[in-house]
Amino acid sequence: MAIVSVRRIALMVLALLGAVLWVSALLMLAKTAQNSEEFGRLYNWILFINIAGVVVLLALIGVNLVRLVRDYRRHVPGARLNARMVAIFGVLVVAPILLVYYFSVQFLNTGIDAWFHADVDRGLENALELSRATLEIQRRDYLNRTQTMAETITSWTDAEIISGIGRLQRENGALEVVVFGQNNRVVAYSSGRPSAEFPTGLAAEVELQIHQGRPYVSLIPVGTDSYHILTAVAAPGMAYVDEGRVVEALFPVAARISLLANTVQKARTRYAELEILKAPLQTNFTLTLSLILLFAVLTAVWGAFFAARRLVAPIQDLVAGTRAVAKGDFDTRLPMPSRDEIGFLVNSFNDMTMRLAKTREIARQSEQQVESERASLEAILARLSTGVIALEPDLKVRTANEAASTILGVDLEAGKGEFLPKLAAPHPMMAQFVDVCRNHIEAGETEWREQLVLRAGGSRRVLMCACTALPGEGETVGGHVVVFDDITELLQTQKEAAWGEVARRLAHEIKNPLTPIQLSAERMRRRYLGEMSDTEAQVLDRATHTIVQQVEAMKDMVNAFSEYARAPELEFSYVDVNRLVSEVSDLYRSQELGTKLGLVLDPDIHDLEADPGRLRQMLHNLLRNAVEALEGRENPRIEVTTRLIKENEISLVRIIVADNGPGFPADAVDQVFDPYVTSKPKGTGLGLAIVKKLVEEHGGRIEARNQKQGGAEVHMDFPLDETARAAMLAGAARRESRRERA
Amino acid sequence: MGLLAAFCLGASLAALAPVRSHAQDTSDGYLIVKSAYAELISGVFYLNALIDLRPSDQALEALTKGVTLTLELQIEIERRRRFWFDKVDASLEQKYELTYHALSQRYILRNLNSGEQENFSTLNSMLGQLANVVSLPLLDESLLEPDVQYQIRLRVVLDNKSVPGPLRLFFNWFSNWPMTSEWFEWQLSP
Repeated sequence: MAIVSVRRIALMVLALLGAVLWVSALLMLAKTAQNSEEFGRLYNWILFINIAGVVVLLALIGVNLVRLVRDYRRHVPGARLNARMVAIFGVLVVAPILLVYYFSVQFLNTGIDAWFHADVDRGLENALELSRATLEIQRRDYLNRTQTMAETITSWTDAEIISGIGRLQRENGALEVVVFGQNNRVVAYSSGRPSAEFPTGLAAEVELQIHQGRPYVSLIPVGTDSYHILTAVAAPGMAYVDEGRVVEALFPVAARISLLANTVQKARTRYAELEILKAPLQTNFTLTLSLILLFAVLTAVWGAFFAARRLVAPIQDLVAGTRAVAKGDFDTRLPMPSRDEIGFLVNSFNDMTMRLAKTREIARQSEQQVESERASLEAILARLSTGVIALEPDLKVRTANEAASTILGVDLEAGKGEFLPKLAAPHPMMAQFVDVCRNHIEAGETEWREQLVLRAGGSRRVLMCACTALPGEGETVGGHVVVFDDITELLQTQKEAAWGEVARRLAHEIKNPLTPIQLSAERMRRRYLGEMSDTEAQVLDRATHTIVQQVEAMKDMVNAFSEYARAPELEFSYVDVNRLVSEVSDLYRSQELGTKLGLVLDPDIHDLEADPGRLRQMLHNLLRNAVEALEGRENPRIEVTTRLIKENEISLVRIIVADNGPGFPADAVDQVFDPYVTSKPKGTGLGLAIVKKLVEEHGGRIEARNQKQGGAEVHMDFPLDETARAAMLAGAARRESRRERA
Repeated sequence: MGLLAAFCLGASLAALAPVRSHAQDTSDGYLIVKSAYAELISGVFYLNALIDLRPSDQALEALTKGVTLTLELQIEIERRRRFWFDKVDASLEQKYELTYHALSQRYILRNLNSGEQENFSTLNSMLGQLANVVSLPLLDESLLEPDVQYQIRLRVVLDNKSVPGPLRLFFNWFSNWPMTSEWFEWQLSP
């Protein structure tokens, strides 16, 4: 940042120096017309600086122009505005400058031309003629004087001339008088000037003129500002070529006349010099103006680029910032360009992005919170044994938990967004559930509760269902939440508990009087049988026998009840299941019942931790039931199978007792383990109930079903050992807990 | 704008260009050193030269109008060196000023070195005076080293010093006055 600043300052200083140098050069160029020797020496440098300045500005403008064109083609934000501003600035500035330039050149050329007007030239010539005319009078006067001197010396001898020449010189007002004789010989010489040199002879032009017989008179410039008049006249009467004499005299010109004549001469000279400088002057002025024009135009154009860039830069920043915000980058902060309206706009933008960033952060936090709560809710719902289905007002599944899918036997998670009745159509039990729900919802009930009994395929399931309408916008319903729980097992457990209580009371209330009844009957028989007649004795015998027999039967029944109600004390030990199954099965083979009994034993099963007596009792009950069920059937067959299975990493021993009898009643398969549910004429209805109770006390489970090919089949699953039993019991406890919570 | 810039730049560069070459017709004038020699008299070398000078019509017209011309004799005495550039040991400039005095209608020749001034009634008599350079003292023989070859060269430059320096560039562009003769060289021998 600091390096950029230093660089920028250095560039600004350099540019300022360049501008000052150029302006100075332009001023000096303008001064050159004033004939300054100093500027004259620097002229080439001045011109070079000016041209260099033009080149530098042209380069700057070129770079800016290339950059602008490139940005324009690439559709860089602000490029169009930049181009428009440059064009406007350029036209606004360049047009007046060009006008000023045009008129300046016109005025300049016209002005310089005016200097050399014909009247001026003619005036100077006239002044010159006037000066000549003035001097001509003096020239004639001096010539006359010289002629007089020549006539005077005509009759003089050389000696007289020598003695008299001084007087002649003084009397005629001459500066010098010389008398030349033959062959340019100086006869006599007189001078009033102390520094005069001795004459050497007539000048060639004087001699030539005298030789032609004409007097000579001429104005002679002396130095730079005075004049003399030189005259020469041949003495009359004598031929010059023979022995003639020539009088040459030098006269002064009056100082005043010399001064005026000199002024005219100098003015003419100056005018002539200016005249020859006319074209160079015009060119010089035009070039100076052109360079100034170039300086002004190029500076204006570059200034237009610079100003446009400065003006557009904040707008470009704003566009870039807006795009960034549109892409979701709310951390964009624009640099403050100035404290003007643009600065206010940029400040507002920064304020807006800051607020947006804060709002987004708050929204993100809220979203996270909602998401967290939703995750918690989902976790809770997932752990619930109670099924929960959230429905849209149009009965589409919004969400459902795992328990709902488990209870209804349909993957509702996959059916999110689907119409619930459509999902339920292939599943009869769920269809009944959905029909009930739909009836309530379509009836406009916002809150209802109902226990549903669902039946399908011989199975029965009892659901406790409750539904609440969700609030929507205004008075509308935003959906429904259906909560339901499978209370089939709960009801079963309650029923079993009730039957247990009944059995315990029966055993307690009935068993006690049975023994006195039996003893009383036996005593009556022993005491009165011998005393009665045969006929009466037969009646008594039959009656007491019936009483004893029925009491025995009732005892058996009461014992069975007692057995069912009693909380058994299990004595676990390791049992060879296959061996035990074989031993018990052998008992039923030997009864010659005509029933074929097959064993399918899993050799991988070794020891099962169980109470061997209870296990044996369970097998007896099941085999007895099977045998009784096969009575009167053709080709009766029983098959006992053992299997070692793994379920959720829990090792289980499964014992299956199957027959090919009539099977369980289709509508009461789920109730076969209920006390007093039996299809046999002689049964107490407690055999399977006791088996179920014993299996559950072992931590196992039991299931009855009808085989597809006919016949009943009972599965008993026992945990292999203590560990497996603990795991099974823990799972059962969890299920119980859920049930209780529900 | 670009055309204008190009024009101005072109004009400027053209102004910086060397003086344009002179046309070869007589109206353009000529300036030639026809002959020159140095003679040793009493230990001093004197220059005698014959110069053929004819100013251009433009220069003569300006002279008649009163503009002052200058004529400069440039004389250089060089030491000849075999393996290097010759060395200028001495140089001499003899300057004259040529003026036409309109009031007296006389041509004035002023020797700027000595300050002497001569008047002539005609241009030819003045140019005739300039054409013959007679016994112009150059240098003492004692200043020359023995066994060294010296070369003398002479050229004449006709110019107009009254034009201000800054305008000289454009003056040279617009006029054909300034003339410079070729160098006339000869070996200096005692």
